[in-house]
Amino acid sequence: MVDILDEIEACVPALRRYARALTHDADRADDLVQDCLERAIARRSMFRPRGPVRPWLFTILTNLYRNARRADRRREEHVDLDAVPEPSTPAPQPGHLALAELGRAIQTLPLDQKEALLLVTLEGLPYSEAAAILDIPQGTLMSRLGRARATLRTLTGVAAEPHLRTVK
Amino acid sequence: MSEITRDMLMAYADGQLNTSGRAAVEAHVAAHPEADSELSLMTRQTNAIRALYGPATAQPIPSRLDPHRLALIANRRRWQSFARAAGIVLVLGIGIAVGWILRPLNDTGQAYDRLIADAVSAHTVYVAENRHAVEVASADSEHLSTWLSNRLATHLAMPDLSAQGLTFLGGRLLPAPETAGGRAAQLMYEDNTGARLTLYITPATGVAGPPYEALSSGDENALYWANGTFTCTIVGPQSPTTLKTVAQAVFAQLSPEHPPQDYQEL
Repeated sequence: MVDILDEIEACVPALRRYARALTHDADRADDLVQDCLERAIARRSMFRPRGPVRPWLFTILTNLYRNARRADRRREEHVDLDAVPEPSTPAPQPGHLALAELGRAIQTLPLDQKEALLLVTLEGLPYSEAAAILDIPQGTLMSRLGRARATLRTLTGVAAEPHLRTVK
Repeated sequence: MSEITRDMLMAYADGQLNTSGRAAVEAHVAAHPEADSELSLMTRQTNAIRALYGPATAQPIPSRLDPHRLALIANRRRWQSFARAAGIVLVLGIGIAVGWILRPLNDTGQAYDRLIADAVSAHTVYVAENRHAVEVASADSEHLSTWLSNRLATHLAMPDLSAQGLTFLGGRLLPAPETAGGRAAQLMYEDNTGARLTLYITPATGVAGPPYEALSSGDENALYWANGTFTCTIVGPQSPTTLKTVAQAVFAQLSPEHPPQDYQEL
């Protein structure tokens, strides 16, 4: 029991990062992570699959977020892009404006593309693990990823690239 | 090198390829500048996304996201709900036990009371009707007797109360939740002033109770009696004395073969 709690604890920073990128809202993200952890802890003896806990936790969080979004979809439809809060970012730097623009662009992606993009790029997960978390074939994952990248490129524009380069 | 697809470039950028895959992509990219810029664009996107959201991991984790603490809270909550459930079971158990202990007193005390109450409410409802006071009219008396006898699973004659100044109007079948068969027959009579009287008859309930009981509720008087075959509740505005006379006539006709012990007292 202690063992698995430690394993779960090790995943919390990544879960928070993913949740924050999904929700673009620090408080909502932490609520989501807390829900996810409570669910995982309540079921840890019964439903935990064999193997590492990370994909299991990400699956729970993904499903919770989908459910929550379904619940308030009507509100989501009316989100004004300018009203999307900017995520907490490091101190202003040359790339700051471009990053904020990128953040807003990511929030406009369809959820399935956003999930695929964040699991692979932000979390650095292997395609197979990301596909398993989203419960889709690897080919589907890659096509969503490709579409997400193409959309971001269009939205952020080529002009943003020199700025992006500076944050590397 | 033409087999290097966009997907392979992307897989390379995402660090998904093994050594030989990486070597193939690198060789391809070296010879194709457009593939190179495509690749660096993807890498820049990835780096930008990490720069945007990566700092979240550096922030201190609030205690509400501590799995050990959450597990403790969950445990405590589980014990509390277990204790609450145990408490409910205990209280229910006491209630059932007490109910069981008091059961004989309550049941005999109430079953025939409720039966009388059913008879009175049925009387009140149907005597107020003019065209639908009865389901089957007295003209069809034979059919009525057969039908109600079948439904009550016992032979039921239609008592003739003309000697008491009462005309038979007819009868109907009613639910009788207090009895095993669940059915009762209501027979309705009328005197020459238009005052109506009903008999509410059920097969014997098997529940112990007084053989007869008279009571008055508002404008109506009721007289209940039971023997080994039937229970009958007579309800009407007539005086208790009249009801007793009626009861004797009914009794004699319904079960002449089983005169009750206290028949004379009626």
